[in-house]
Amino acid sequence: MRNIRFLGLSACLLSTSSFALEQGEYRLNGFGTAGITHLGGEDSRRAYGVTGQTNDSWRGDQLSKLGGQIQYGITDTVGVTLQVTVKPQQDNWKANLEWAYLSWQTTDRLMLRAGRLRNPVYMYSETLDVGFTYPWLRLPDEVYSQVQLSNYEGADALYTMPISVGSVTFQVAAGQAVNRDIFGLGKLYDIDYKKIFATNISLATNSFGTLRVGYTEADIDSVYNSVVTTSSGDRSDVNFGKLSKQKGKFTSVGYQYDNGTWLTSNELTRRVIEADGNVASKAFYLMGGRRYGNFLAHVTYAQLDEDNGRQGSWTYGLNYNITPTIIVKGEYKRVDTSGKYNGVFVESAQENYDHAVNAATNGVSGVPSRNYDGDIISVGVDFVF
Amino acid sequence: MKTFNSALGVCILIFSVNAARAEVAVIVNLGASVTPSQSDVANIFLGKDKSLKGIDQKDWPPAKEKFYGAIVNKNESQLKSYWSGLVFTGKGQPLPSVADDAAVVAKISTEPDAIGYIDRASATEKVKILFILP
Repeated sequence: MRNIRFLGLSACLLSTSSFALEQGEYRLNGFGTAGITHLGGEDSRRAYGVTGQTNDSWRGDQLSKLGGQIQYGITDTVGVTLQVTVKPQQDNWKANLEWAYLSWQTTDRLMLRAGRLRNPVYMYSETLDVGFTYPWLRLPDEVYSQVQLSNYEGADALYTMPISVGSVTFQVAAGQAVNRDIFGLGKLYDIDYKKIFATNISLATNSFGTLRVGYTEADIDSVYNSVVTTSSGDRSDVNFGKLSKQKGKFTSVGYQYDNGTWLTSNELTRRVIEADGNVASKAFYLMGGRRYGNFLAHVTYAQLDEDNGRQGSWTYGLNYNITPTIIVKGEYKRVDTSGKYNGVFVESAQENYDHAVNAATNGVSGVPSRNYDGDIISVGVDFVF
Repeated sequence: MKTFNSALGVCILIFSVNAARAEVAVIVNLGASVTPSQSDVANIFLGKDKSLKGIDQKDWPPAKEKFYGAIVNKNESQLKSYWSGLVFTGKGQPLPSVADDAAVVAKISTEPDAIGYIDRASATEKVKILFILP
């Protein structure tokens, strides 16, 4: 009954902007992914992935997630949005408040938002959890493992301008994210991102695809300590790295095109942590696909270069739209690393320690670094409602 | 002549029911002061240009299939995916929609800045045809 009343009300007020909800109107939307994935061809229990849940058992917790969003119009131009997701973080399922913000549509073109927002780092950042909006089950790990932060507290401004060939959207965002988690050395560490500043511009054309250029920086504080067995046989707390107000900079250039039959999606990223002595991590993926009725066949090459190591992968996928809001996806991904590099394969603190000892002793003790390779199969369903 | 027109209308109607190949008319209010191009119309129906109010149709009738295919190269699932991208980034909400061609005509005939699409056969003298999608 309530719904019917709101429906009637919204029909009466049809004449206001499509971007904001009318006063008193609300929208409920949801999305989810149910998928399983398996890594073959590596050591037993070897983990792979942004949060390391892909290994040689068929697991549902790397890909699966569920989200719900409610938007409510406080006035015709001011609204509130809440988005909650349930997804696994390392080995535990966790509920997260991803969005919690107030928005103000100041003019037809300018929207201001404040609260907890998703940080616009990558091309797919803001719909990272909505698999329905991208062709893969697993976003290319080479690129999407680079920055693990998914939201921040702050404010942003979004300006959209229609132009003759499409539209241009400009976004600036600032804020911070403290007491967050970062996955490294096989476990979660605390990390603070302060003075986050992000900006991006995207040119969406109606016939020639969408080009997006984004830049994000933040001052990062994080300490990586872990207890390992040292070469003398003792158990000792070893520091693997410390970031203290060090500036991390991330650049992403992306291009997407979809003419209904053929589509392509590509992104090139560069990450630098200043004063860390690290050279830039560079990553990219190139994806092409073709639709055959309700099927989509696609292929992706992705690469990550860090120091002297490289991870490269080929992904072959086939998607099928069961209904316009449900897509079944299957993917095979072949990953190889070179340059004695672990890439997105997870090495524990102990393994890192042993590699460091080996390098420091010219191979006399410890364990040498090595390359990895594997075959990853993923099957799942993406949906929105 | 009148009989001929309505007979033609019925023919077109039957044709449009049998196949989704009927012509789609993009219509505006009789008093509309602007004449948006096809690319302006694409922007309006993708929620990027709010100079006119796009009136969408519910569900997925043949005229909608034709309109979105011709204007933005999107089928039903691609359009859903597009709006999901906007809804779940808080950047937009799908346009308001009405039940059928007749409701679009009714809406547009009373709102000076509304724009919609209908099967050409459903067009009446109460609205202005901006252009036809063949």
